[in-house]
Order: sequence, then structure tokens, then C-alpha cells
Amino acid sequence: MDASSAPFPVPHKKLSLDIQGNKTDIVICSYDDHFLVIATQIGSMGTTLHARKEEGVSIHPTFSVSVIFGKRDEPVLVACARQLIEHISNCGSSRPLVLSLGLKDHSVGTLKGVVTAVIANRLW
Amino acid sequence: MAQGNLDSNGDITCPTSIVGESSSANVNAGLDRLRINSADENDDDGAVQITCFSDLSDDLTLHFQIIRLHKQIYAWIGCNSAKFGHLYAAAPTRPNNMVNVTSLLGGASDNTGSGIARRIVLKTGLNVVLACNIPKDSPMLEAAAEKKLVSKLIDLGYTKSKI
Repeated sequence: MDASSAPFPVPHKKLSLDIQGNKTDIVICSYDDHFLVIATQIGSMGTTLHARKEEGVSIHPTFSVSVIFGKRDEPVLVACARQLIEHISNCGSSRPLVLSLGLKDHSVGTLKGVVTAVIANRLW
Repeated sequence: MAQGNLDSNGDITCPTSIVGESSSANVNAGLDRLRINSADENDDDGAVQITCFSDLSDDLTLHFQIIRLHKQIYAWIGCNSAKFGHLYAAAPTRPNNMVNVTSLLGGASDNTGSGIARRIVLKTGLNVVLACNIPKDSPMLEAAAEKKLVSKLIDLGYTKSKI
């Protein structure tokens, strides 16, 4: 059995809030080489995206966002990942982001609500 | 002494509710204990439950993280580190109760995690997303990690029926 007194190596935060009338559960985990954010209103992970900062020499970083599972025709989901990876980069981390969004509606209001809640509880 | 009445046949009838308040309280307390073992702090079916634990064996530390969503389980297995690893999704598929697995991140050249994800679904019937950084070509480690994870999922009461 585990006799280690070391804390669990992956810090995480869990919160539940109402976004545009829908109960939303958000989990944020910080791994060594990735951040994981799950925001769900539907009880499952929904669409999963991968966002990362590109290697480059220019002053302004560029980012790459791709859908790795789920809806590929919802620009709001891609925009959400893009906003979060830019925030991560501005806070000084170059770790990529795995973002899971299981949302009941894909409105701009929901996007803003999710981004605001995640940033307010960020681990970066 | 139990209270009773004589009915028309001369038999004693005893209201079944008079068992004694203390013993029915004991029964209720026992039932509560049983429910607490299988449920979590939140009785809300839709609440997210996160379980994290680590296991030391043979100089290796395996870290496990289980996030239970209402209709899906996300699990992460870390071998000596907190790297995210490769990501797989696996689920039972209708109509013939097979399991399908797909690699989401990390490519398909190293499919250590995909076998684990597939067998978790076979044994538990759950819809699973698994992240795993176990190095490839370590079948003993893979088996040990899978065994611990499946037994924890069963202990937590998350499983559905086996496929």
C-alpha cells in the first residue's frame, strides 16, 4: 500500500456554477506537461479540443487549436479553446491545453461564462 | 411485552409496527451505512466526483485520478510522473456489445493505454476516457495498473454490468 506522504502530484480544482441557466460542472487539472479543463452541462466530456502555442521566433505567439473528438463544426468551441490557450500563454506557461466542452447551447454567452469561470479558477 | 388484540377467531393479532422504536432505528442506521459505502459525499447524481490515489510497488509509483461524470468516466494513470501521456476514448457500442477504442492524443504507435481502456470498458461497462503515461513494452506494469484501477472503480460503485 502507499506509504508515501507526498501530496498527489496533479493539483486540481472542481467547481459547479450556473451559466446561462444551465448547471455547469468545471474541473481543472494541472499535469506536468498539459492543462486539462473539463466543462460539462451534459454529464459527459463532450467535444474535446487540443490547443497549443506554436514554436516561433516572432514576438507575438501563434496558437494551434484542433478538435480531437466530437463536434468539428462549432466555432464557439474552438474560440473558447483559443481564448484559454492565449490566457495560459500570457500567464507565462507554454503548456498545451486539453479542453473538453459538453455544452447544451453553443452561444457566445455560454462561451464567455465558461472562459470567465475557468480563468477565475485557473491553475496557471 | 407486545400489545395485541384478540380477533374473532381468538387469535392474537399484533400490529406489525410495534417492533420497538430502537430496533427500527437500528435498521435505518444500518441502511444508511450501506448507502454511504456505495455513494459519495454528494447524493446528487449529477455531481462530479474526483478520486485521486497513488500506489507504491516495486520502486515504481503509480498515480491514479478518476473523475466521474454522470455518464462517463475520465481516468488518468501516471507512472512515476505527472505527465499527461496519451489519451484514448473507449465505449461499448450497440447493438452487439462490443468495445471500440480510439486514440485521441499521442498517436497510435504506442498503444499501451488503448488496451487498458478497452479492458476497463469490458469489465465495467462504462464509457471511458483514459490518459496514460505508462511506458510501452511493460506488460506487468500495465496489468498491475489496470487491475488497481478496475478494482477501485468497482469499490467506488461506478460500474455498470460487464459486457
